[in-house]
Formats: sequence, C-alpha cells, structure tokens
Amino acid sequence: MASQTLTTPAMPAGQVGRSIPRLEAAAKVTGRAEYVHNMSLPGMLHGKIFRSVIPHGKIKHLDLDAARAVEGVFLVAAIDDIRKVIAHPYYGPAFHDQPILADGKVRYAGEPVAVVLADEAHIAEEAAGLISAEYEELPGVYDEVEAHGAQVFVHDELKPAATFPDLAHLLGRRDTNVALDFQLRRGDADAAFAAAEHVFEHHFRTQPTMHTPLEPFVSIADASGGSLTLHTASQNPSFVRIEIARLLGWPENRVRVKVPYLGGGFGGKLYIKLEALVTALSLIARRPVKISLTMQEQFFMVMRHAATIRIKSGVDKSGRITARSCEVWWNGGAYADIGPRVTQKAGFTAAGPYDIDNVELNSYAVYTNRTPAGALRGFGAPQTCWAYETHTDMIAAKLGIDQLAFRRMNLLHDGRPQATGTILRDAAIDKVLDRVAERMNWGTPLERGTGRIRRGRGIAIGFKGITAPTTSVAMINLYADGSCGLYIGTVDMGQGSDTCMAQIAAEVLNLDAESIKVIHPDTDVTPYDMGTLGSRSTFHMGTAVRLAALDANQKIAALAEELGVPPNSNLPFSELLRRKYRMQAGNIIGIGSFIPGYDKPDQETGQSANVTPFWGVGGSGAEVEIDIETGEFKVTKLVNVADVGAAINPKLLAAQLSGAAIMQLGFTTSENMLYRDGQLTNGSFADYKIPCLLDMPAVFINEFVESRQHDGPFGAKGAGESTTIAVSPAIGNAIADAIGVRLMDLPLTAEAIHGAILAAGIGGDDEH
Amino acid sequence: MRPFDLVEPATLEEAFHLLEGDDPAVRPIGGGTALMLMMKEQVFRPVRLVSLRHLAPQFGAISIDADHRMIRFGATTSFSELEHSAVVARHLPVVVRTMRTLANVRVRNVATLGGNLAHADPHLDLPPVWIALGAQIVIENPAGPRIVPAEDIFEGYYETNLRHDDIIREIRVPLNASQRASYVKITTRSAHDWPALGIAVRLEMKDGLAHHPRIVLSAATNKPTRLVRTEALAHGQPITPASLRELGEAAVSEADIASDSRGSADYKKHLLRVHLGRALHALALEE
Repeated sequence: MASQTLTTPAMPAGQVGRSIPRLEAAAKVTGRAEYVHNMSLPGMLHGKIFRSVIPHGKIKHLDLDAARAVEGVFLVAAIDDIRKVIAHPYYGPAFHDQPILADGKVRYAGEPVAVVLADEAHIAEEAAGLISAEYEELPGVYDEVEAHGAQVFVHDELKPAATFPDLAHLLGRRDTNVALDFQLRRGDADAAFAAAEHVFEHHFRTQPTMHTPLEPFVSIADASGGSLTLHTASQNPSFVRIEIARLLGWPENRVRVKVPYLGGGFGGKLYIKLEALVTALSLIARRPVKISLTMQEQFFMVMRHAATIRIKSGVDKSGRITARSCEVWWNGGAYADIGPRVTQKAGFTAAGPYDIDNVELNSYAVYTNRTPAGALRGFGAPQTCWAYETHTDMIAAKLGIDQLAFRRMNLLHDGRPQATGTILRDAAIDKVLDRVAERMNWGTPLERGTGRIRRGRGIAIGFKGITAPTTSVAMINLYADGSCGLYIGTVDMGQGSDTCMAQIAAEVLNLDAESIKVIHPDTDVTPYDMGTLGSRSTFHMGTAVRLAALDANQKIAALAEELGVPPNSNLPFSELLRRKYRMQAGNIIGIGSFIPGYDKPDQETGQSANVTPFWGVGGSGAEVEIDIETGEFKVTKLVNVADVGAAINPKLLAAQLSGAAIMQLGFTTSENMLYRDGQLTNGSFADYKIPCLLDMPAVFINEFVESRQHDGPFGAKGAGESTTIAVSPAIGNAIADAIGVRLMDLPLTAEAIHGAILAAGIGGDDEH
Repeated sequence: MRPFDLVEPATLEEAFHLLEGDDPAVRPIGGGTALMLMMKEQVFRPVRLVSLRHLAPQFGAISIDADHRMIRFGATTSFSELEHSAVVARHLPVVVRTMRTLANVRVRNVATLGGNLAHADPHLDLPPVWIALGAQIVIENPAGPRIVPAEDIFEGYYETNLRHDDIIREIRVPLNASQRASYVKITTRSAHDWPALGIAVRLEMKDGLAHHPRIVLSAATNKPTRLVRTEALAHGQPITPASLRELGEAAVSEADIASDSRGSADYKKHLLRVHLGRALHALALEE
C-alpha cells in the first residue's frame, strides 16, 4: 500500500492543547459507563472453564459426566464439540497455534480443557469443579534459555499465520521451540570488539508479570440467524472480526464486534482471548454465551515475557561505544500470541538509543510450558532497556565517567542512523535526557546518608519502535442539526482516547470537543482500525480523524459552492443542509484513512530505510534510600520524562505518563509471577503484589518535553508506553549508586539487595 | 457463588439455635471481609451464615472498668470503632497505631474483632497484639461461657480450637499504666501486602531493665506465636546493643519460620533479628 506524506499546519490555539476533562468522566464516576462485565442478554448462558492442573501432558481421559448430571447445566463442551462448529479450531495473530480448548494435549498449567454452560454462573462453576481429567504427563520446558536448545518440544511443528509473509519461511519447521529468530547486523561487530580498548559483557533477566486490568477478560457471543454479534472487552475489535470470520469461514459482514469502555487493557486484551470460545459455544448452544474470568483466572490468559538478555559492548579510549552485541531470549509461553512481533520490535532497539556503528542483535521467541506471553505496555522495550541501561551505567562506572556524560557522549541524535539503518527523525532523546538530569538536579551532590541509611540516584533512557505497518480509518458524520458523531474503532480503555480524538476532530471542524459524540467500536458501524495498542492511536487514528475532518470540511465547501453560497460566508453546515434538502435532513460524511510508510527489515541484516512510523522515547531518574542492615528500600523520588510530540491534552497526558510509570514501578519492585515446576505459585492478588498509593514515591514528577512529530496530528505522537521504558534501570542504577552493588535480575526486592550486600560488602566499588 | 441463607438473630439464644448441628457449612459471620474472599474462591461454601451484627447492642461496646484495670471490647466492634476510640487511644495506643497499616478503610469499617480472631489467618495484625497485651477471650457456648488467653485459641494455619457452637463475645485486655507496647508490620513487597512478619512486643522498664516482656511473632509462623524463651531471656535485662543481638539470635533460633513468596526463611529470620532489636530499643527509649 502506498504511504502518505502529510504536512500539518502549526498547532492552532483552539481545541487541541486544551486540558479538558474526559468526556466520560461523569458517566464513570456515577457508575453509568457501559462495560461488558455488566451486560446481560435475554436467554444468556454463563460459561465456566475447567483448566489443566499440569504444565505438559497428553489428555488420556476426560470425565464430563458428573458435570453434565448437575441440575441446571445446559452443556459441557470439550474440543470435539467445538470442532462441530469450527472445523479447524486454532487461532492466533502470528501463529495459528492455539486451540480453542486443549486438543489432546495440554501445554501449560491453567490451559482451558473443557467448559460448562448453565443459566446461572454458580451452577456452571460448581459443575466445572466436578470435571476430572487423566493425563499422561510429559516433561516440560520452562526456562527460555533451556527451552531454546531443549529436546522437549512444546509444539510438534510451527504454524505461522498466512497473514504475515515474513513468517512464511517458518511454516512446517519441526523440532524447535524457537517460534521466531530475529537478527540484525550492522557494520562489523567482531572486528570492532577486537579493536576495542575495553569490552564489557553482562547478563540480565526480567521476570514474568501480568497486566492486572481492573476489569478481567469478558466476552459475550450471540449467534443467531446465521450471524454473530460479539460484545467483548477487546482492544482490537477489527482483528477479532477478521479472525472469527476466518475461523467460521464466514464473510466479515456476518460477524459484528462491539466494544464499550474497557476497565484497562495494557496489551492483554488484544487478538483473540475468550472470543473464539464464546463464539463456538453460542453456535452450539444457539443461545447467547458469556464468560467472565475471575481476577485469578487472568493469570492463565496472557502475561509479559520474561527475558534473558546477554549484552556486550566495545568501547574506545575516548569512551565512545564502538560495538554492541545483544542476544535476547523471550519466554513466550505455550502459544505464540503476539510474542514473535515483540521479539522483532524490541529486538531491533535492543542496543539502546546510542550511536553505535557496529551492532549485532539476535532475538528469539521461545515456546515454554507456561502461560502464553504477549504485549504488555512497552512491547518488550522495558525488558531490553533494563539490560542496556544497567549495562551502560556499569560501563560508565567502570570507566570512571559520569553516568550522564557517558550517555550524552554516545547518544543517538536526529539525522543519524539507528541500528536498523533508519535515519532518526523527531526523536527528542537528547531533550528527554537533559530534562531528566535537570529534574534530578544531577549537577548538585546528593546527600548520601549515614549509618544504616544510604542514598543513591540513577538515570536511564530508552526508546522503542512502533508496530508497522498498521492502518486506521475514521469517519465523521455531521448531522443536519449541526451536531457531530465521530466513528472510530479506537477503544477507550482508560487512556482518554475518546477525549483526545474529539479534540482533534473539533480543532479541524471548529466545534467544541465536548459537543462531539464519539461512537464506540462496532464493526457494523465504525470503520477498520488495526487496534488500540503500542502507543499507536494518537498518531494513526488521530491522523485518520484529522483527515476525516478535513474531508468533511471539503464537502461542506463543495456544498456551499453547489448552493451558490459565497466562500467565507460563515454559514453553518446545518444551514447548508437545510437549504439543500428544504428541511432538517441529510448528512455530511468525512472519511479519513491513514497508513504510514514502512520498509520491511531485511531478513538477514534487519536493515530498513523506514522501520517505524515514529519513535517512542522515555527517560527516568530515581533516588532511593536503602536500609543496609535489611536491604529494605524506598524510591524517594521518581522522575519520568517522555517525548510525545505535541500534547493534544496535557492533563490527560500527564495522567497517562504517571500511570505507566507506576505500573512499571510494580514490575520493578514487587510484581513477579513465581513458578515452581511449571506451576504458578502466587496466582492471586494476595500473593502477586501491584503497587498501591502508599508505594508512590514522595516526589513523583512526570513531564514531557517540547517536541513535534512532523507527520503526527498537530505534531503529536503516541504516549501510552513511553514512561514504562526506563523506570527499572533508573531504580537499579540508583540502588547501585547507594550501595555499590549491582542487581542483574528483576524484580529489585529488599531480599535481593540484602543478598547482594552480604555477598559483596558495603561501600565496595564492585561492578562485576 | 452458590446461594445461601443469611440470618441475623437478635439474641444469643436464637444464634445458638441457628448454629445447631455440626454442619461446617453453617457458621457465624462477623463483618465477613475474610469469609467473603474464601467464598469467592469456593474454599468455603456456606449453606447458612449466622450474622452477629444484630447482637451489637450487647456485643459491640468498648468499655473500661471503673478501676481502670481492664478494658473490654465487644466482639462485633468494628476496626474503625477501635481506631477512632478516645478510650483506646489513651489506654492502648499500640492498638490505634496498628490500625494505620491494617488493611484499608473499607475493610476496617466492616471487619469485626471477633471475626478477626476466629479467622486465624497467621498474617492478621491484631491477634499478635492481643496476645502481647495478655488479652483474654470470653467465649459463649450453649453449655456456658468460658474465658481463655488469646494465644490459646490458635491451633495452626487458619485453625482454632473454637467449637462449632462457640460465639466469641468479648476481648478483655488488662491495663497497666507502666507498660509499653508496639507492633511492627514488615512487608517485603507493596505497602498493602500481608506482612512477611508481624512482631508485637510489650514490656515494662524498671531501672533501665526490661520486665515481664511478651514477644509475639506472626505471619512468618503458622500461627501467632509467643517467643517464650526469648521473653525469659529478656526479663531483667538492660536493652543494649549486646543484649539486643543476643535476643535477636534467641528469637531466630526459637521461631519456626518457613519460606514463602514474601521471602526465604533465612531472610525472614534476618528481618526478625533486626526488627525485634529495633522494636525493643524503641520501647526502652520511650518516655
């Protein structure tokens, strides 16, 4: 598809840039906002899932009789029942590897094996408890590095989806757990390492974590009369329609997907989650079917990739990084989900936002017998940033160069090639780093504490590429009374997209943003959008909305001309419609469609002339206070700065930046899905701890720098993930600064710090 | 959740009647904050819950004896009533301080003292405090009431020796103007986590020496546990860096601590060693 070149006018002082409250604020605080969780349809059945208790095994026998005998149970279904309505019941965005229910084999503990349907949820729950399964247990693989070379295979062969031509070479590959291996080669890393004055190599690990949206996964399917309506808590209704239509062999127009507000998504509610299951069940039962997961069941749906990262740098005499090589193993769990894309997107930025001539990157998506891993607020960037920003800090310490100065010396600037060869543009990496340093008072000495209390500070900076190529289409409908409806597939999941998109439309149409009605995703009504993910909506959908509004304005002008109204007469469009139709009637419809340019990276070298629509940039600074007797610590100050282009709504933006940073604070200090022999041992919110208000740092600063994305709507770009990227290494670097000991693995716990203190001794300058 | 009966008797006799038989799916409910979680998890599936809330006129008061030697808490007293009681703040400030980090305001508004004891989750904050303060529990039964020391009702992890037809009526705490007490809640993950350790300490200081200490460890053990050997060692001792080290080691060797998701056994032992010492030191310095 041809890309579009857009020029935008300078930011006007109108609707864009206003800090208006969210359009839905009143509906939410009064409990009137619509969620699938609260929805009920006449005749609706409730489903409850029976799950595998073993991580890997063949199903020898499944006993459904006791569940079927429970009074009030309508149906108990396993994969053979699903096959009656969906002949090939395997789905997935990158690989068609995931069965709707376990198909002869289970690949992770918690995998859905059977479902009970009943009029009442509690009856289904009770009956599901009566199902039993016998398994022939198979050895499992759980660690991403071990799984890479293991002789135990999670899947017999790879099944890439035909929709991704760059995965075609993987079709039918056998006896491997590597779903995708991405590689990048730039310059001559071997020669540069040989010539380097210093070479540093470190290994890092990050832990598996979970999205924990306040609203767990929930979907309702209503199949009747040869068509299907899905009400689902999904971040990408258009994808759901395409994938469900594919599974059913139906045209898209027989599948309708509606999404109201979401109680959080964070990348978890992408692609197919419960939708294929409720679809099959509704077709079998010929009644609407709803499945609502409990908070605990969310741990068995999708998680953030754990990763192991090996990173090596060569540095010359002056302190310039001349070579960097990274190897990243992503623990993808039992099904690929979007893991191969994470592997590629986070793979090509794994060397960090530095200007390095010789780069060698290898990134592996690895199947294991754990909960599938997918996208989680950063698409892998926070994991790689943990490695490269800790590594970078360690090099600076070893060379005796100030951490800020070392970064500045090596920073990637606009106009220079990134590791893919793509020339950096509109990435305010330098400004972000400067602002972090300024807010951290980096030039002023820190009060470092005495006795058992030690203080330290650290900084970090990272960036990410954006999923490409992806499309957004928007439609604006101007009604005859002068009011306006905005029809978009972007899902407002708490980030405030309704408000932001209304502001963009209002700016172009010269209306009040508050007066615009945003029509929520309904694939029968709203046009295509690839999905609300990866910081893409403001840039992609925002541009489509702007183009739709411009299109509407052109049609208004054409109508005025048709009616003989002189230009610049300022007659409102409602008056033009009244004159044309001689009554309050008719519409003016504006359409906008946007796909940014993209050049697919070369299979061998990862080189691309245009690898990303824009760059997400985030920097963080942290101050910590550590009790060296116990390792207990507090993040006393946390600074997060992002490059978001120009702000459409500064207040909403600040809230989004702080939310992302707090989320990553949890992923840094407390959240950790603990596994023993393939079994999750802390799958509840009593044992998997997300931060609360009392965990917020006393000084908590979230800002954006003045910047402009030349082809973004009014200069804007995405902001949802930027402040997740650098939080973890900033805190880790602060801990190292305080006690002189490095932690290489996330999460950073008091016990880990205490262990490191014991192992290394206090006050040493050990940078192992 | 399966449907069940919720009954709210107005008298103790009626409550006993409703609890008759030995069906474990029939049981009393106080505020229900813990029980509801177990019901959602299907760990507990009730047929009938006998709510004690209408017994509040007899069971819900906080009173102090005329001679100021005993304070009495009705079992249906809510945590927030405790938290905001001027009498408690004056006579047992440790209890009010404990409330600051106990669950959250929504739970404190609903949870009751009796339910909290009967639940017997070793991570709860108040039981170790009651034990350290030498509290006595008044238990009603159709066969007649009995009074037992707080530590004696706990048998193990979520286990008490309360009988099916027992109803906790009152918690009695002896008052002693010269006692000092503290509770330390140690969390290792987020601030609202269950404690990895709870340490409750009470003692009197005479001529620079600790007297009649009571030291209770919770959360890291399967029930709130008095560290009696450490108490005996501390009695009559000065609080010095050397004695604190010795007491810390005594506590560690006495406590039966296992690893869990909040920390390894070794790390929790270290936290006990350090924080018990700090708690004793702070009490010794208290005016």
